[in-house]
Amino acid sequence: MNTRGVLVMGKIKIKIDYTICGDGSKIDPRECTVCLKVCEPAIFLLHQSLDFEEEDDRYDPKIWRVTPVYPSLCTLCMECVNKCPENAITIKS
Amino acid sequence: MCDHCLKHGTAGKWYLNAKLYSNELAEELDLKEFLMEQYKSFEAMQVRKFGGFSAVGMGYKMQMPIIGRIVKYTAEKMLHTEKPSRNPFKAEGHIGQVIPLDDAIAILETCVPEGSLIMKYCMCRYMHKGEKEACCINFGIMSEIIDKLPRFIPEPEDSKFRITKEEAIEKFTEFNKKGYIGTIWYGAYPYINNLCACQTPMCAGFRPRTEFGIKSIFKAEYVVENNPNNCQGCKRCITMCQFGAIDFDEKNKVSVIDQTKCYGCGVCLHACRFDALRIVGRKEIPALAHEY
Repeated sequence: MNTRGVLVMGKIKIKIDYTICGDGSKIDPRECTVCLKVCEPAIFLLHQSLDFEEEDDRYDPKIWRVTPVYPSLCTLCMECVNKCPENAITIKS
Repeated sequence: MCDHCLKHGTAGKWYLNAKLYSNELAEELDLKEFLMEQYKSFEAMQVRKFGGFSAVGMGYKMQMPIIGRIVKYTAEKMLHTEKPSRNPFKAEGHIGQVIPLDDAIAILETCVPEGSLIMKYCMCRYMHKGEKEACCINFGIMSEIIDKLPRFIPEPEDSKFRITKEEAIEKFTEFNKKGYIGTIWYGAYPYINNLCACQTPMCAGFRPRTEFGIKSIFKAEYVVENNPNNCQGCKRCITMCQFGAIDFDEKNKVSVIDQTKCYGCGVCLHACRFDALRIVGRKEIPALAHEY
């Protein structure tokens, strides 16, 4: 089985504060995309927020969020935490 | 040849069977509505939960002793299913294969329905990096579907939306020379609707395989062979390979291809100026004949 990422200290938990970024809050992640670009193992994915399906236009959704989908690949480089203009990302390991 | 090709292919390959691209097949399978629903929120597919389980944190799930195997089995079963799909929010029957340039040109020339070719922004690039790159060729009923989804339609400065076969071949060749891997996809088995030019790790189709060993995409019907007599040891092919399948023999100063890692995409051939690389059929090498 070829999985990257080693369970050194247990799971890495990456959290994005959705009251600051995404889900129709202050920042639209589609305009920013900094965490997506600085993450070398491409852990973050940009996608439309699911809970807003009824209010948002499903052909042209406007409410998006970023989710860390592959936290097992995180190298703890902290680039995302440091570069996020709104300090919306926290990482615990 | 692989079982799938035996069942579906003419000329030995499933993706060269023009019937699988036809609008009639798409109508028969009632796929327009299905694909429309799927593409409206395709980016969110990886975070959707099915039975309390989603792709988020896949790496950790795969590392658990028994659960890891169940996860892999379930994911592959869903991707490889040949049953007609009902749920557009699951990636059922959404499987693809790597193809080299010549096969992609054959597909564009002979299999794709007339007047249905479009170029759209690659959804995977957008999801992973927030970048809009117009490198994904769709055909058949997809032109009617993407027409209604403005985020996929390229800006005029990036690309034309509706393209001719010649333009598609020209564009695809350009991407192949840049090192983007050609891949052909079932929209939902058995209808083929998508020819993409992929870059790992920014491809949602490749990642489950390259990161976690889940067969979300199959290796090509080919592998690449290096001729050490022609090879000058310039190493340009090594920088092209996205799978790390090419090593360098320091003593003899030639590139060595690890054919067990080679996906047969053939982009390394564009880097070689000495005619040392050659694409050969996978089944010609006994140990690789069934290794997809």
